[in-house]
Amino acid sequence: MSIRPPTLREKRRYLLARIDPAGTIVEAKDLYYAVYEAVVSLFGDVAAAAMQPSVLAVENGYVILRCRRGAEREFAIALSTLSACRDCTVAIRVLAVSGTIESLRERIATLVPLVSAALGQDAAPAQEGTADPDTCRYRFGSTPVETVVWHGHKVDAIEKGFKNTRRLFLTTEDLEKIHATTIPDGL
Amino acid sequence: MKITDACVYPYPLGDSSVRRFAFEARSYGYDSIVAADTPVAEICGVTVIPGIFLAGMPAKDVQSRAKKSRGTGAVVAVQMGDNRFNRAVAGTSGVHILRGIHTADKRAFDHVAAKIAVDNNTALDIDLSPLIFGRGHLRQKAIHRYLDLMILYRRFEFPLTISSSARSVLALRAVREVTGLCSLFGMDETDVQAALAGVGRVTDPGESLVKVIP
Repeated sequence: MSIRPPTLREKRRYLLARIDPAGTIVEAKDLYYAVYEAVVSLFGDVAAAAMQPSVLAVENGYVILRCRRGAEREFAIALSTLSACRDCTVAIRVLAVSGTIESLRERIATLVPLVSAALGQDAAPAQEGTADPDTCRYRFGSTPVETVVWHGHKVDAIEKGFKNTRRLFLTTEDLEKIHATTIPDGL
Repeated sequence: MKITDACVYPYPLGDSSVRRFAFEARSYGYDSIVAADTPVAEICGVTVIPGIFLAGMPAKDVQSRAKKSRGTGAVVAVQMGDNRFNRAVAGTSGVHILRGIHTADKRAFDHVAAKIAVDNNTALDIDLSPLIFGRGHLRQKAIHRYLDLMILYRRFEFPLTISSSARSVLALRAVREVTGLCSLFGMDETDVQAALAGVGRVTDPGESLVKVIP
């Protein structure tokens, strides 16, 4: 089938969204299924077919999505009901809507250096069974935590424990250094 | 006019600290949040209002708890029950918000309770969590209850509040997203703005409830 001329093609809109929490790795295919489920469960099959939601690319913690022109508002509402992708808890925050993918890629290019600059420290979570003493230097209240992502004042940490390893969303002011001493450098 | 999320659960009830909630709330366009079991604070320009959330209590106990919390600056929110309970609680001074209409019975909040809520300046809460996390029957029921509530709201104009009931910053939604979600049950942007300012309206009414018309 030959490609339609531009005037006969369907008009589309492209959405740029951020994937929260930072550092979450999601597959485009898994995200597509999650997005489609969110659209279908909220608006039904007919609206989903008319909306034509799609995930085009997942890059650097951002995702480019596509829908038919005129349906972007409903699509954004459906995206705000998305809370999980496979087994990960995620949130999709729509940042921009555009008529071209190119402009969204340009926007990602401007956003990524800002995020990288804000990430003071970006450590991957420790593998199961490994115990690196350097990564467990902080505590939140009485709970020792392992920091995962630093983003300016925001810190994502994982609770240290035998069973309980949930992710905590904290700030630098909430954290306290374990074994912090007052010995000056000269000693 | 403060834009307020009427209910969040910070650590240890949730997985995010109250500071983090305040940071994120600011970036999503809020001026204040009502946080459970948290003292009054001002973090990064966001006012943290302590919230007392009462559930599964008889009306008499609710009255005594509301009386105790008077003057503390806390927002008292009560989980809705049956019609009789809701009428009693809506008329209790010191109770600011009635929550959980999406789980209550169809006839739990009627025109009489609405009138009592107007007279006592008690707000009705719209919880967004069943819309965000619910699927199928649960979400349909919530939307149906909110549609019913909006009919009474248009007639009686009692205060409304909007809450995310977030236990994590991931469950917080930006004001723009809230507007989109509320449009599912017929709230326009003006209604959403008024509802987001509802906590300020019930805690600090400002103008007199009685108007003298010459």
